[in-house]
Amino acid sequence: MRYRAYTTAFRVEARQQTRYRGAAMGGIVTQVFFGLILVALYDTLSGGTDEGFRRTATYVWLQQIFFRAYFNLDSELNDQVMTGNVAYSMLRPVDLHSWWFWRAMAQKIITIAMRILPMLLLQLLLPERWRLLPPADIPAFVQFAFSLLIGFMIICQINLICSAISMRTLDNKGITAMINLLMMILAGNIIPLTLVPDRLQTLIRLQPFAQLLDAPIRMYQGMASPGEWLAAAALQLGWLVLLWGLCRWMWSRNLLRIEVQGG
Amino acid sequence: MSEPLIRAEGLTKRYRRSTGGKGLTGFFGRSTETVDGLVDATFRVEPGEIVGLLGPNGAGKSTTVKLLTGILRPDGGSCSVGGLVPWRDRRTYTAGIGTVFGQRMQLWWDVPILDSFRLLRDIYRVEETAWKNRLDELAEALALGDLLNVPLRQLSLGQRMRAELCGSLLHSPKLLFLDEPTIGLDAVSKLNLREFLLLERERHGTTILLTTHDMADMQALCRRVLVLGHGRLLYDGSLHDILQRYDTRHEVRCRFAGEPVWQDIPSSVALRRDEGEWELSFAPHAIPADEVLRLILAAGRIEELTLKEAPVDEMVAEMYNALHLS
Repeated sequence: MRYRAYTTAFRVEARQQTRYRGAAMGGIVTQVFFGLILVALYDTLSGGTDEGFRRTATYVWLQQIFFRAYFNLDSELNDQVMTGNVAYSMLRPVDLHSWWFWRAMAQKIITIAMRILPMLLLQLLLPERWRLLPPADIPAFVQFAFSLLIGFMIICQINLICSAISMRTLDNKGITAMINLLMMILAGNIIPLTLVPDRLQTLIRLQPFAQLLDAPIRMYQGMASPGEWLAAAALQLGWLVLLWGLCRWMWSRNLLRIEVQGG
Repeated sequence: MSEPLIRAEGLTKRYRRSTGGKGLTGFFGRSTETVDGLVDATFRVEPGEIVGLLGPNGAGKSTTVKLLTGILRPDGGSCSVGGLVPWRDRRTYTAGIGTVFGQRMQLWWDVPILDSFRLLRDIYRVEETAWKNRLDELAEALALGDLLNVPLRQLSLGQRMRAELCGSLLHSPKLLFLDEPTIGLDAVSKLNLREFLLLERERHGTTILLTTHDMADMQALCRRVLVLGHGRLLYDGSLHDILQRYDTRHEVRCRFAGEPVWQDIPSSVALRRDEGEWELSFAPHAIPADEVLRLILAAGRIEELTLKEAPVDEMVAEMYNALHLS
């Protein structure tokens, strides 16, 4: 089968990730803590018992549950990029962009899968007002699940674009710090995009970072109409195709000109 | 004569290296210089040959291997291996070669090596039964049977190297590249590795290209060597011949019954007194050994005489010297 190498890469990496249970526990505690602070803060700011606050709290919790997915988790790729050893992966008869992409997907999916249940249980310990609301309805949940998967794929492309840039600079600190900062702000992790003033919100929703988790979360909370859902889904897919193409192009270009260090 | 497997014509690769710049100038602009990785190398390798690449650090050995494996693209010249161009037909080409780098493990660090081998089976699309048979064969020859479920990081260097070799051969490549495969290995491991490579070639006719600093590796494995220096191919021929040519450190130690009287010692013979013994070193291509013996016999009555053979590494150093490599 043509794609066997990539499904295997996914499987092996997925199994690998299940070993990092300690890291998962640490992450859960941190994310619950941040979720708690943000929810308490928005509760104080909202000042009442309105529906709006419950939606914000739900938004915050979903952002915290999926927080780890934002980051490039592939330390092997990072090492290889920094040392220039990534060239050695050209010795394998595989498409390298696809190879690293499916690894990244496995890392994100498993990392998140290990965090979902404990975090859902932990937030149940909170006062009801601060808890996560269930999805609007079953179709909303299905839309959310699909959209989340697309969102992960887009994040992987963004991570791999950073790696492609790092191949040229041989250092990933600068670009990673910049992208992470942009992502935290523009993807709705620190300030839910639902709280951004209306005019700005329309604009901010168009940019790629809003496709990562903001779009899935809005679907979770229920779209106003099928048309609105269609527009959001199309936008998300459009960005995926665009970034996928850009990322592939950057990778193939960089691998052609990469020079292995040392003689 | 059969069709050569590797055909390189005028293969050239130059690196650009940043020379920095001092203080603030380095911040504003960096100057670069060009370093010769490999210049105008032309050679052929026949199927089933074991060819050694020899040369000091930075001579262009690894550059040659990287060009031939498709990791690097050349700046000039051409190269075809089994009808394919390594850097252009990368995916088709790499499916048919094996590579082992002594300084860089290619198996996955954290997973049991059997998992790595399964992954390689899928990457190289090896059919299940063929894979199984090959793994059995290699695991036995490389004594990996008990280690298959151990992660790479928990293996000793020698075990890792064996695992790497196994991984590189699972898809039965016709051509194997070994870049300093014995680096850091103990004597027994080196010996086993050499035996294995010879066996592999005998069984499957695998063509092997090998770089090493270990002359014993070379002597055990290769009849033919390519000597590189400063990116140039300086010698292409038999290992035996080149060792003879640069075997310049023959030494004779002798003890005389009385005080010897040396007569007409030519400049090609170095004479040195070491306690009660005399040491004569000479280059066999400059003066024949029997001529030296005649000189010794003429000097006095001999009590003891020993011929010291030059260590191979010294010969290589001498060879590099003569070729202006050091």
